[in-house]
Amino acid sequence: MSLLELKDVSKVYGELHALDKANLTVEKGEWIAIMGPSGSGKSTMMNIIGCMDRPTSGQVIFDGRDISKESRKKLTEFHRDKIGLVFQQFHLINYLNAVENVMVAQYYHSMPDEKEALEALERVGLKDRARHLPSQLSGGEQQRVCIARALINSPQLILADEPTGNLDEANENIVLDIFKQLHKEGTSLVVVTHDPEVGEVAQRIVRLEHGKIVSDKKNENFTE
Amino acid sequence: MFFRMIRGTFARQWKKMLMIALTVALGASIATAMLNVMLDVGDKINEELKTYGSNITVIPQSEAVMNKLYDVENDEIKAEYIQEEKLGELMTIFWANNITDFAPLTDTTVTLNGSDVRLIGSWFDHHLEFVKKGTTYQRDTGIINLRSWWDITDGKWMDEQKLDGDKYAMIGAELAKEKNLSAGNKITVNGEKGAEELTIVGVYESGDDEDQCIYTTLPVVQRLTDSSGLFKKAEVSAITSPDDELAVKAAKNPSLLSGDEYDLWYCTAYVSSICFQIQEAIPEASAAAVRQIADSEGKILEKTELLMSLITLMSLIGATLGISNLVTSGVMERSAELALLKAVGAANSQIPRLVLTEIMITSVIGAAAGYFIGYAFAQIIGHTVFSSSIEMSGIVALIVAVLIIAVTLVGCIPAIRMLLRLRPSEVLHGAH
Repeated sequence: MSLLELKDVSKVYGELHALDKANLTVEKGEWIAIMGPSGSGKSTMMNIIGCMDRPTSGQVIFDGRDISKESRKKLTEFHRDKIGLVFQQFHLINYLNAVENVMVAQYYHSMPDEKEALEALERVGLKDRARHLPSQLSGGEQQRVCIARALINSPQLILADEPTGNLDEANENIVLDIFKQLHKEGTSLVVVTHDPEVGEVAQRIVRLEHGKIVSDKKNENFTE
Repeated sequence: MFFRMIRGTFARQWKKMLMIALTVALGASIATAMLNVMLDVGDKINEELKTYGSNITVIPQSEAVMNKLYDVENDEIKAEYIQEEKLGELMTIFWANNITDFAPLTDTTVTLNGSDVRLIGSWFDHHLEFVKKGTTYQRDTGIINLRSWWDITDGKWMDEQKLDGDKYAMIGAELAKEKNLSAGNKITVNGEKGAEELTIVGVYESGDDEDQCIYTTLPVVQRLTDSSGLFKKAEVSAITSPDDELAVKAAKNPSLLSGDEYDLWYCTAYVSSICFQIQEAIPEASAAAVRQIADSEGKILEKTELLMSLITLMSLIGATLGISNLVTSGVMERSAELALLKAVGAANSQIPRLVLTEIMITSVIGAAAGYFIGYAFAQIIGHTVFSSSIEMSGIVALIVAVLIIAVTLVGCIPAIRMLLRLRPSEVLHGAH
């Protein structure tokens, strides 16, 4: 059974078809890059996959369950349990330190556990920066905190929106190395990006244009 | 974690929180001050009006009947009298402690230097002792307190207890000027039953037609009218409760009241129930409210309470709008942070709960400060307007707490609606 299936999924805003009958399958443990120019529907697809939005039509089947018609409350619960989000802008809470930012996701999921949160930070190489505020961390470090926060509740899918968009090359490589490690560990990854270098490291590349999937190919250059 | 986030908000948005606390404090202080003054204002206005004279007159029963029958002023009917010694009964009635002062009055027309003058005999600061059923009641009472607005332009108030004998008088300012009299002068007044030589102790200015009269001790007038031990009328000043429907009904006829109504009326300091008890104590007398004063008390109280209610309402509306603006702008500033919480799994109800807790903590601090500021406001109002302190009521603290909770919740409604509509997808990376 696939982890995620989009069947003829459309999202319409007035006259605009942000997503137009998109069909996509993500297998468990797969690493997919969703690429396309600005306005191609990448973020809309991410919102729908991430349970932050519902499609106008079509089906979204996650782990065998159709979530396209679920209530907002159910979607929130589902998203909380199954998906970890990584954002381009990091979106850390600036008055909480790194470990507390990770614990926020635990708090809304179950119970905050500082030991677990520190372990998550250790996975991204930031245990020694756990007590630092976001303002005391570099962009790359902030993005790693964001990844640790996404990982903390052991999600089935990591959904990353332009995760390296605000990073320099060195930090981009660090983040991509973390993604590689997560992939090796069996975590499913969907990375939305317009950066070819980020797309090139994924197992599969899906291209979007004007809300339609125009190509869906295995990456021949993918290396474990 | 919940309280770490709240602590973080206070650390980061302390200026906004301070503004919210100040807004709440302002609303709470005005509400506290107004509600306390409102609860205390009845007694305060009563006390204030007591300085303008008596609010109950006691006249002989027969005269009251004639007045009612012929609708004429009592001067037109041959006066009957009440026994002076019966006045002590006023100290024995249920509402005796509410009777602040009383004095008998008997007037007669005398001639002074060839012209007719109204001579009024009364108590000034009479020491009254009354024994009933083995109990001795004592009080100093008289027109010194019942005419507290008099301005003594020459000499001093007559002090009955210190003067030797009773042949003294106080003369109205206009009459004194007309007859060229001043304190220390001696005058001879001629009445039906003889003449009296009186020493003028003081000259008063009352601002009414009593400026043409002479006030003397009651025994002088009793001798001149051959009414020893009697008086024509008594003035009583009592602290009363404003009339309500029950008082109006009882004033018509107390026998129409049900048993419970009668008990409530009798045990409430309505002017009508005090009059009723005076008549019970002195059956040959008829006690009646000076309607002008009794009505004024009710009207002033009603209008003052309305004004204070409106000020309280306006201040609370102002506080609600202020809170609404501040909380909404605070939520707008924090929309990315709050949307993030939704994105990491916070349920729709958890975010408003977080914001409401922050605002409620701020409001409680503001309300506590406002309560004490309101206490100070109330005392300033009390001392400025009524020259006395305002008693703080425990119930006001409770009412203010409820009002502030309501104001805070209502003020948060726009922000909560905004929070419920907040979509993490739109805030975090645009809609599409």
